[in-house]
Amino acid sequence: MHFYKSSDTVVPVEAGGETNPPHLPACPPMPPIDLPQGTLDLLILKALSLQPMHGWAISERLHQVSRTTLQVPQGSLYPALHRLERRGLIKAEWGASDNNRKAKYYELTRAGRKQLAAETDAWEQLTTAVALVLDQA
Amino acid sequence: MRQALNDLRYRLRALFRRDAMDHELEAELQFHLDKEADKHVRAGLSPDEARRRARASFGAREGVKDDTRDVRGLVALETLVQDVRYAARGLTARPVFTAGIVLTLGLGLGANAAMFGIVDRLLFRTPDDLRDPSTLHRVYTSFLADGEKRIDRNLAFPVYLDFARASRSIEAFSAFQTLQTAVGDGAETEQMRVTVASANYFPLFNARPIHGRFFNASDDSLPVGSPVVVLGYGFWRARYGGDPGVLGKTLRVGQTVRTIIGVAPEGFVGLNDQGVPAAWIPITSYAHERRGTAYPANYGWSWLELVARRRPGVSVAAAEADLTLAFHESWRREAVSQPGIGTPDSARAAVTLGPLQFNRGPQAGQDAQVARWILGVSLIVLLIACANVANLLLSRAVSRQREIAVRLALGVSRARLIRQLLTESFILAVAGGVTGLAFANWGSAALRSFYFTAEESVAVASDVRTLLFAGVATIVVALLTGLVPALQAGRGDLAGALKVGSREGTYRRGRARVVLLVFQATLSVVLLVGAGLFVRSLRNVQGFRLGYDADRIVFAGANLRGTRLNPGDLNALNERMARAAREIPGVTHVSLAESVPFYSNESRGLWVPGVDSIRRRGRFVLQAGGPDYFATLGTRILRGRAFDESDRAGSPRVVVVSDGMARALWENADPIGKCIRISADTAPCTTVIGVAEEVRLRTLTDAREYTYYLPATQYGSPVSPQLFVRIQGEAADFVDPIRRRLQREMPGSAFAAAMPLDRLIDPARRSWKFGATMFVAFGGLALVLAAIGLYSLIAYDVAQRTQELGVRLALGASMGDVVKLVMSSGVRLVVVGLVLGGGLALWGSRWMESMMFQQSPRDPVVFGIVTLVLLAVALLASFGPALRAARVDPNTALRSD
Repeated sequence: MHFYKSSDTVVPVEAGGETNPPHLPACPPMPPIDLPQGTLDLLILKALSLQPMHGWAISERLHQVSRTTLQVPQGSLYPALHRLERRGLIKAEWGASDNNRKAKYYELTRAGRKQLAAETDAWEQLTTAVALVLDQA
Repeated sequence: MRQALNDLRYRLRALFRRDAMDHELEAELQFHLDKEADKHVRAGLSPDEARRRARASFGAREGVKDDTRDVRGLVALETLVQDVRYAARGLTARPVFTAGIVLTLGLGLGANAAMFGIVDRLLFRTPDDLRDPSTLHRVYTSFLADGEKRIDRNLAFPVYLDFARASRSIEAFSAFQTLQTAVGDGAETEQMRVTVASANYFPLFNARPIHGRFFNASDDSLPVGSPVVVLGYGFWRARYGGDPGVLGKTLRVGQTVRTIIGVAPEGFVGLNDQGVPAAWIPITSYAHERRGTAYPANYGWSWLELVARRRPGVSVAAAEADLTLAFHESWRREAVSQPGIGTPDSARAAVTLGPLQFNRGPQAGQDAQVARWILGVSLIVLLIACANVANLLLSRAVSRQREIAVRLALGVSRARLIRQLLTESFILAVAGGVTGLAFANWGSAALRSFYFTAEESVAVASDVRTLLFAGVATIVVALLTGLVPALQAGRGDLAGALKVGSREGTYRRGRARVVLLVFQATLSVVLLVGAGLFVRSLRNVQGFRLGYDADRIVFAGANLRGTRLNPGDLNALNERMARAAREIPGVTHVSLAESVPFYSNESRGLWVPGVDSIRRRGRFVLQAGGPDYFATLGTRILRGRAFDESDRAGSPRVVVVSDGMARALWENADPIGKCIRISADTAPCTTVIGVAEEVRLRTLTDAREYTYYLPATQYGSPVSPQLFVRIQGEAADFVDPIRRRLQREMPGSAFAAAMPLDRLIDPARRSWKFGATMFVAFGGLALVLAAIGLYSLIAYDVAQRTQELGVRLALGASMGDVVKLVMSSGVRLVVVGLVLGGGLALWGSRWMESMMFQQSPRDPVVFGIVTLVLLAVALLASFGPALRAARVDPNTALRSD
């Protein structure tokens, strides 16, 4: 039984593209950056911390906010969402979308909020430490 | 913790609402794709192009669905369900095959469940309601008699007192004994099982009386106790209809009228091994009734069993050492009145503390030993059955090679394949287990009635420990039978298996199947040798000369209860009884007797001038009989004469000794005319007038048990009112007439009882009979299973070798050659099994030794017969397939498939 996939492959988009809405296709294929384990979950939690969203909206938001650097293959979003739902960090409800179609909305639970705070802290500590080490060298 | 609960809730939802969740997921993904497509449309793409883009950036939809489903955490369970369904389908498609396996396993598992239930009750289980059973032990004493250690569990009352007084490591001793005695009055009198118990016997248990109370200290006080009785639950319901007003009423038990003070709870059996007693009475009260006021000092009457509770913190070894010292003290005290017993050191007197289960102690009955062996035998049969099933599964795996190759080629992992095959064998094992339990439940009634009384026999299906054992055995069976075929699956040349016409080329007989078959043959040999040895033992037991004609004798006795007769009246009663019995038509001889075979025996101190250390030479049993004694019993006189009417009180004292006794005391000298002194060193000489053949009065197997006979008139006190009646015809037919005729002579409330003498002896022969029956049954079963295994192996071989045999026939081999070829392969396997099995049986023979009766466990006749039987079976089993092989048409065989 595994809670985290071994890695989430991310395809970076050429920096400098416009943030909103993302324009046309044909980003030249670049070698993918592997997200460290569990990072996708953290990003989802953060995205949901402001308001409930459905899966597509989360995907768009991540894409926008990261200045299009991160383009998570949209398919890997859903296993992560269901995983978080199973752990009780987010909960799901069917509702109506903006054009009145049925969509599944996800929302942070209290446990989810606590987890988000904890993981954000951990992430910041980690990156600071790594940066220090890299600076040294 | 919270997370775990959420997790569980999610998984349960996923399990039970699987379809709904799948629909939801599909809808969710579709929504995402639509939105993405919309986004591209708004950016200016055509709807088709937009949808294509959306799909491309999303990734493989089915892959996403699979990944999401994986997250649900039910993959393992769902694959299991899938495997079970697939296996079940495969098994129901071949009903004969499946039924055969289930039946085979059912027989093996059922036999084991039945035997385990019995062995568990005999050896492992302690009574349920004991307080703190780990501190309780049975007390056994031991001492040397001519280099041989004798172990006793029956102790005399003064020894019980000595222990209680002198030991420091024991918190309490409880004494008890179970006996048959008359209960009730007048027409309601019945001989029933009664337990005599000390006051601290009941506190050993957690049980509380359902009415009234149990004994207290004053009920069991010296010297006479109180005339009270506690009723057993079954007896209370049967005799008093469960009336709670029974307290305070009186009941005659033995010779004393007793007051009922309590009723024991349902199912309370205490510590005795013979079944639920009808009543409990205090020790002192009973002892006083039987032997008057002298019993607290009478070291000669050993009749009590003791259980000791160790003080907390005292080890078993320390307690044994402490008790040994107490025993030495007691021994020295006894030596004051019985100087012949020597010092405790010279006799190495010691005390051992044994387990509560009587059958695990040093005096374990033969029954328990036989039960242990039979459990081992049933395990062996189970192994043989497993080998058969494994062989069948292996052959089925071979015929499924193509199917398996296809699945492997399509991408099933080997682990999944192995799991799936194991699931199949688990299903078979579970089906076999359930069938086996059904067999055991319904079929073992006879078995259990042999060992247990009706009240204690618990059906197999409701016995938790047996069910647990059956469960574990089932799992082991599943692994044993399924592992080899599963591991072998998918090995080897996949491409070759996929090709059409896999019959081409040479065949390889799987080594695994051969090994399994040799294994079966070996075990069968061991079982059959055991069966042969037991059967011969049984024949020896049944043909064994007891020294008297037990089948022609009825034993009758008077139970005097309450009626106290002086010696003159007692003698007169004996006279009347003997005369009355002689009048019955069909009766040829009648004699009084003091000792009764396998029931009770007398012994006195013996002094023989010129011979020392009598006690070390053997056990000497005293028998007193009427003038017709030897004619009645059919015991032959070898030398001299028997006693007759001329030997009366006042005439010179005479004795007849047994053959073995004469040799033990005087070796080859002529015993006639020799002098022995009975009861005291200073007693007058009793002269030997005759030598009788050896008889068996106490045990079947003790070679150093000797008997000597005194005429009843010279016995000193009146002989017990017991008769041996020799009849012409069936002993069972005479029981009632004799009893009714004797009852007319009974004084007061005494009653007469009678039974064929065989009934007293049968229990001693029982365990050999039982062992022989079970060994033969299981040995036969094992043989049948092995024969089936051999047959299927050879038949399968022939099927695989059809082409090769066809070639041989075409090249000129005769039918006979082919038959010989096939049969020799079968016989060769069995010969290997014979050699291995024979070796194993020889090696294990030393453990069989104690179970045999005048039979060597290395008897060549038995081994020879088993060899012949197995060879015959091998020939038979391989004959059918061999014939079929010889009839192969070379043309069809040679043609490529």
